[in-house]
Amino acid sequence: MLILIFFIYLILIFSLQTTLLDLFSFGGVTPDLALILTVYCATLLRENGGIAMGFGLGFVQDCLSGGILGINTLSKSLIGFTFATLKSKLVVEGFVPIAAFLFVSSIVDGLVFYVASLILFKSGTPWGILFSNLLVFAIYNALIGPVLFYFMDKNKNWLIRRFSKMENSSL
Amino acid sequence: MTLNIKRSQTPFFFETALLWVVSPVQNLFTNTVKSISETVDHYFQLVDTSKENKNLERRVKGLLKQNHDLREKILLLTRLGSLSNYQEQQELNGIISRIIGRDATQWGKMVFIDKGTQDGVAENFVVVTQEGVVGHVIQAGWNSSKVLLIIDSRSAVDALFQNSRVSGVVAGTGSNQCFMKYVPITAQVAIGDEVLSSGLGGIYPKGLKLGTVSEVTKATQGLFQEITVVPSADLTRLEEVLVLLS
Repeated sequence: MLILIFFIYLILIFSLQTTLLDLFSFGGVTPDLALILTVYCATLLRENGGIAMGFGLGFVQDCLSGGILGINTLSKSLIGFTFATLKSKLVVEGFVPIAAFLFVSSIVDGLVFYVASLILFKSGTPWGILFSNLLVFAIYNALIGPVLFYFMDKNKNWLIRRFSKMENSSL
Repeated sequence: MTLNIKRSQTPFFFETALLWVVSPVQNLFTNTVKSISETVDHYFQLVDTSKENKNLERRVKGLLKQNHDLREKILLLTRLGSLSNYQEQQELNGIISRIIGRDATQWGKMVFIDKGTQDGVAENFVVVTQEGVVGHVIQAGWNSSKVLLIIDSRSAVDALFQNSRVSGVVAGTGSNQCFMKYVPITAQVAIGDEVLSSGLGGIYPKGLKLGTVSEVTKATQGLFQEITVVPSADLTRLEEVLVLLS
């Protein structure tokens, strides 16, 4: 059942990312829901869970983009692993820490893409354009992320209540 | 048979006094009854008006939605009409397709179209609008395809200037503009010059409009000019495109 719910969420998130989110673009930059979800899962799940979520979300994102298969898988897995490892050493609560985590994650995501494009194509996005886009992208994610974290927390609590009720009634 | 009692022309005292006493009470009663009657009437009218108002509000909402839908249909038909006209004028063998999604990442500039191999779409097919080139198909699925836009940093189209016929390569930047590379420093290029596809490279046919020069920088050193090209087609607001089936 949880796997089914996860797949439904996955479909919803990527449908939103590829369609409606374009309406909220700021200077052609849209927030990255997969990145936000990766950071959320990495701080919530066990270490391997964070990496697995990062890998899965990155892979789906790669499939739904025109880029090289693997760039997002790599960057999201890295982000998942980093924050899953750091979560025991840092407090991931409140607006500022979440925003800071997402800001750093966005920069890492952009840099992985830039370096990979540069290595594979020898010519990537010009650095000036990438830098301005990257900054807007990081700030956008950092601002929107905490709000999404709040709703995802609410949703997680609702799911836990729902499942505990179902388990109790089946007993 | 009738009975008439003859009355005097002027009322006598008792009659006048009675009228003087009774008339205010009569007035009071009449006004009260009238007021109550009006209130009751008004209340029932208000109940009806409230119901009518709700019905009218519902109807207005329905009509507004219908109006909006019809406006959208008119705009859609206008866009489709201009695409069809362009197709007929240019004698292009193509299929009109709708944009159904955009790249899932921030860094790629790619769109999904609702036509795939079942409609005859295949890899490397060119996608255009009446304004100019959009990009080319990089992956064709059964019922949808991925189109790499000319502004993607991995896109490169062999091009030439319409007037001077000097050639170069239009490369995407990942933003909403392109760079024209490998244009010799000696070539005469001005802002506003039209850039067309040269037909070399094997994907884009010759003569398709790619964009307009918006900035030219001639470096003191180096062999080539730095030229910025703004795509002719508005790639941020794509809705329907024409896939060239060849």
